[in-house]
Amino acid sequence: MAIAEPTNNSPSYIDKLVVPGDVVLDLSSMSNQTIKLGGGLRQDCDSITAMKAGMLRFSKPNKYWVESSQKRYVPSAGDAVLGIVVDTKAENFLIDIKGPALAYLPVLAFEGGTRRNIPKFEVGTLIYVRVVKANIGMNPDLSCMDASGKAAEFGPLKDGYMFETSTGLSRMLLSSPACPVLEALGKKLSFEIAVGLNGRVWVNAAAPSTVILVSNAIMNSETLTSVQQKLMVDKLLQRTQ
Amino acid sequence: MEQRLASTWRMSVNEKKFIESSLLSDLRADGRRPFDYRRLTIKFGREDGSSEVQLGNTHVMAFVTSQLVQPYRDRPNEGTLSFYTEFSPMADPSFEAGRPGEFAVELGRIIDRGLRESKAVDTESLCVISGKLVWAIRIDVHILDNGGNLVDAANIAALAALSTFRRPECTLGGEDGQELIVHPPEVRDPIPLIIHHLPVAVTFGFIGKESIMVIDPTHLEEAVMGGRMTVTLNTNGDVCAIQKAGGDGILQSVIMQCLRIASVKAGDISSKIKNAVESFNTERALRKIKRHSSSSAVEVSEPAQKGGTELSRTHVGRLNSTPEESGVGQSNGMEVDGKILQQETSRRDSGAQSFIGGPSSW
Repeated sequence: MAIAEPTNNSPSYIDKLVVPGDVVLDLSSMSNQTIKLGGGLRQDCDSITAMKAGMLRFSKPNKYWVESSQKRYVPSAGDAVLGIVVDTKAENFLIDIKGPALAYLPVLAFEGGTRRNIPKFEVGTLIYVRVVKANIGMNPDLSCMDASGKAAEFGPLKDGYMFETSTGLSRMLLSSPACPVLEALGKKLSFEIAVGLNGRVWVNAAAPSTVILVSNAIMNSETLTSVQQKLMVDKLLQRTQ
Repeated sequence: MEQRLASTWRMSVNEKKFIESSLLSDLRADGRRPFDYRRLTIKFGREDGSSEVQLGNTHVMAFVTSQLVQPYRDRPNEGTLSFYTEFSPMADPSFEAGRPGEFAVELGRIIDRGLRESKAVDTESLCVISGKLVWAIRIDVHILDNGGNLVDAANIAALAALSTFRRPECTLGGEDGQELIVHPPEVRDPIPLIIHHLPVAVTFGFIGKESIMVIDPTHLEEAVMGGRMTVTLNTNGDVCAIQKAGGDGILQSVIMQCLRIASVKAGDISSKIKNAVESFNTERALRKIKRHSSSSAVEVSEPAQKGGTELSRTHVGRLNSTPEESGVGQSNGMEVDGKILQQETSRRDSGAQSFIGGPSSW
């Protein structure tokens, strides 16, 4: 077999494909360094193992996670997602974030939230939220504040159109140098976009035709290379003008 | 309760509002205009009488099987046509396994009515022995993915499967001229069904306060719309069935407009089905030429032969069980079946293949 023996030093796995069971990090070889684990990784004593197949990513200084593309979303702490309000309870809003269980958004988890000013959301409201806690076997906890307690763009989204894509595409849209589709669209059109890591994307613009064009261009771009994406957007724009 | 809440699919207010408001300027969320049909692809399996239809994101599979049974008493020389649907929970989380929902029943009834009432399939040609044996044609439709407008997709799948289905030829023969011989496909080419015309279903949705009409609604539009109407017509412009079950009321003039649009769409769709069937048939003919040239090799191989006989045995087993189910003329049926069994076993050398339609094997 031509497959190389897996080595134990961790950097070799970064930006490589991992499969469930791969020991991607060995904590015993790292001296008192704290690391943060994202989705798809788990800790067994001194070793960090992959739980799903995908690309292992690392972001400085100490975050590790596994990236893959799927229709279902597995909540993990720190993700910004788009949720739909399902129900309102005394303490929490019940939010659907495409995960295996409904998520709780405490009614006080808003900037300057007190018992007096609890926001009212009708069922079906789309909100941009952050996952705070995501433990296995528990309903995830959400918040409409960033870590420092500011509203920071989180909250309900008005009007516009929401569509669902895979989690892989939503990560691609968020990647920084801007994703080619968004770059090409943004040169010609003005629109607002909110991308949730759970595969939901919200688009708003002045004219409905712009919203339709942008959302369909994004949905079509999933399997295209960056050059193809640009060509597709150019063609779409030509047809409408 | 919690689990169920989590697994149902839900829609945000934003989507609902957007679909309704953009329709006011004749735009639809997927970029179509109100009277555009989604892209339709028809594929066929290796076996005769199986089809796979994709209409946008909607994915439907159909296959047709046949069986020799006793005819109904009041129709001694007509074969039967029955229609079954299977809604997989994989297609849509709201579908429950095993239990057909309200919509599953409605879908089955619409398609069944379109095919049966318009006499699209010639049932009299399915008679083998008057009052004793006729072919029962069974259409199974599986919904694989729900992207909206399941009725049209399932109807096209059923039509495509019926147009490629072939039943084995059978003749009376033997010493006393009363034995029924079912010829395996290698001996005599199976016969296609006689289909007089293709009744194509076209569905309209009515959205919003103004009841704006859209053709071929997606699952999002279905969630928003106030009413739906399905019109079944053929290329000649004959209306075979109309289904308007509840929902928003619509004007007579709107119905007439729907019929005019539907007849154009039905023409497009049936020509698409015909083209697909034609190309399948030419491919099938080409395949047959190949099969004859390599037939000697097939017969030598041991396992293939075994598989063949096993299949034919199971088929005979099925035949035996049918008269018992119907409960009438049991002894008569058994006698005939016994003779079929003889025929089958005597022909085992030819490596008889299963001739009961296509099991899902692609």
